[in-house]
Amino acid sequence: MWPGVLLIAPALTAIALLYALPLLRSLITAFVGEDGHPTLGNLAKALEFYGADIVYSILVALGSLALIAFVSIAIAGYLTLGQSRWAVPLLRWIYRWPLFIPFIVAGQTARSFLARNGVLNTLLTDVGLVDAATATSLLDWRGLVLTFAWKQIPFVTLLLAGAMASLDRSTIEAARNLGAGRLRCLIEIVLPQVRPQLLVALVLSLVTIMSVLSVPVMLISGNPTMMTAMMAHRVTFYGDYAVANALGLFSYLLTAVAAWAYLRMSLREKSN
Amino acid sequence: MNIRIALASLLAATTLATSVSAQTLTVITAGDTNMVDYINDYLGPKFEEGHPGVTVRAVGTGPGDGGSQAIYEKIHAQKDKSVWDVDVAVVHQRMAGKMVEEKLLANYRDGVATSKLVTRKTAENALGVNVSGYVMPMFHSQIAIAYNPDVIANPPQSYDELAKWVKENPGKFGYNGITGGMAGVGFVFGWMYAFSGMADEIRNGPWADGAADKWAPALASLRDFNQSVMMTPGNAGTLDAMNRGEIAMGPVWMDMFYTWVADGRLNPNLKLMILSPGMPGQPMYYTVPAKSSQPDLAKEFIAFATSPAVQADGIVRRFNWFPGIDPQNVKSELTDAEWQRLFADVTPETLAERGWSMPQAKYFAAILEAYEKNVAK
Repeated sequence: MWPGVLLIAPALTAIALLYALPLLRSLITAFVGEDGHPTLGNLAKALEFYGADIVYSILVALGSLALIAFVSIAIAGYLTLGQSRWAVPLLRWIYRWPLFIPFIVAGQTARSFLARNGVLNTLLTDVGLVDAATATSLLDWRGLVLTFAWKQIPFVTLLLAGAMASLDRSTIEAARNLGAGRLRCLIEIVLPQVRPQLLVALVLSLVTIMSVLSVPVMLISGNPTMMTAMMAHRVTFYGDYAVANALGLFSYLLTAVAAWAYLRMSLREKSN
Repeated sequence: MNIRIALASLLAATTLATSVSAQTLTVITAGDTNMVDYINDYLGPKFEEGHPGVTVRAVGTGPGDGGSQAIYEKIHAQKDKSVWDVDVAVVHQRMAGKMVEEKLLANYRDGVATSKLVTRKTAENALGVNVSGYVMPMFHSQIAIAYNPDVIANPPQSYDELAKWVKENPGKFGYNGITGGMAGVGFVFGWMYAFSGMADEIRNGPWADGAADKWAPALASLRDFNQSVMMTPGNAGTLDAMNRGEIAMGPVWMDMFYTWVADGRLNPNLKLMILSPGMPGQPMYYTVPAKSSQPDLAKEFIAFATSPAVQADGIVRRFNWFPGIDPQNVKSELTDAEWQRLFADVTPETLAERGWSMPQAKYFAAILEAYEKNVAK
């Protein structure tokens, strides 16, 4: 037994020291007051000051996930079922690009692209779709949803297209032979078979979205904003790790709920 | 076996680190990357020229008070050790006060040749804490209002006038609230100086419990003011919005403004002014931790960094900051044009009259929290 323990010891130590311990510490700090006694005051303060930001974060995350799921299914579906000789390879080549761009660059690009007099509105004004005087800035929840989606769609598509490619083609071909259109084939034959992979990808995207700091900091002015920005704010301006960790607790809870829902679903599928 | 190799290499690394640190002066600095660049590319090499065998190593901890917070945490963590791994720390006012109170800094200024050139009050008092002897100002930077004279020929001169002006010109004034940078924070402090009726207490203390309760009218008017302004994402966001012509006025750091103009990133026609009664500014301080391993070398470094020649060439010419030592000592090192440029929009008299300090540390945090509670929501 001991050689085995020794073998995994480095990995275990790294996980304990670099992951479990900080996590535990941050959870504990959320419940310790300035006087060192246990308290729920930090949670109460987090809710009082940043309740709106918590709700906002959840809504933005859900909105982003919806958009991500929709577009990824469309792209992966077309990659699997499309027949064009040039459009499919072109799409396959192009859709992954945002994967290699860091969030902070995406944030900076979005900031000048979506501003009131930014590139997007300037283009729309030039072609006459928008009046320059009434153009509005998209640097609010819409900017966040668009930026998160833009960054995460390739990731989800990558997993989804891989899963779709490894499906047994005969089910698809059988459906096509019986006269099912491509859209119907996607929704009724392909999607149900790759649902677990889609859910994994979306849960991972949720965790990513909840942890990105650069994008909300660069796009959003004032409140409400994403929780991460307010956590950084608590630390930067007040040196207040307690309330920051209390906010962190809410993000753990949110991602934990998603992970739990996913685990339950996958267990049920296995037992069936 | 593996463990032995690991131990041996650890030992080797430690020995190496100790032997190197004998000639290495570790300077840790808060602030943007330009602070690290300033030390690595300019100050360090110049100091090394005069001190053969010495290597200056700069470590940056990030912008704003968060950067100073990180320095405090780093030094505080090794409080009980006999020697600390930081020789010079460059920090903001709030953290300097706290570190002096917690006895983490050395009282070194009398041993520095340039100490007599310092005249600013901030060298003695950092947000209500007596720091005399513990700090040398590296530079002073000031928050001001940038405006576009092509759009506004006669900008409002006071917070009162500005409040009226934004009602008549909704969306033409922009600032970043209290997130994303100190320019917006400083603007809010100025608002409180103007409308809270307790500007002196806020700047000089003493802290009074329940002070925030008296701020309701000032905060309500700020909330109302915010309805007619454009919120920008951060200090740079304000300048970007001015560049794109979305707003015609907004608070900025003067040094950042001049640097952007010099780099060609900002419309050079824009001008600066300071609202009355006053807008805050702040220095950054050179400090020596109480248990620096090389206090004498650290003092020499600071004396060099605060000498008139370096203050003129490095602080004013390269970074457009106001000098940390008395500007009159720097004047002879600058050309007339450079001196004029420094005070082009804001005269030395206006700066003296309207360049106020930041709030005392407790008021500082209290105003931010009151803003979050009453204005931001």
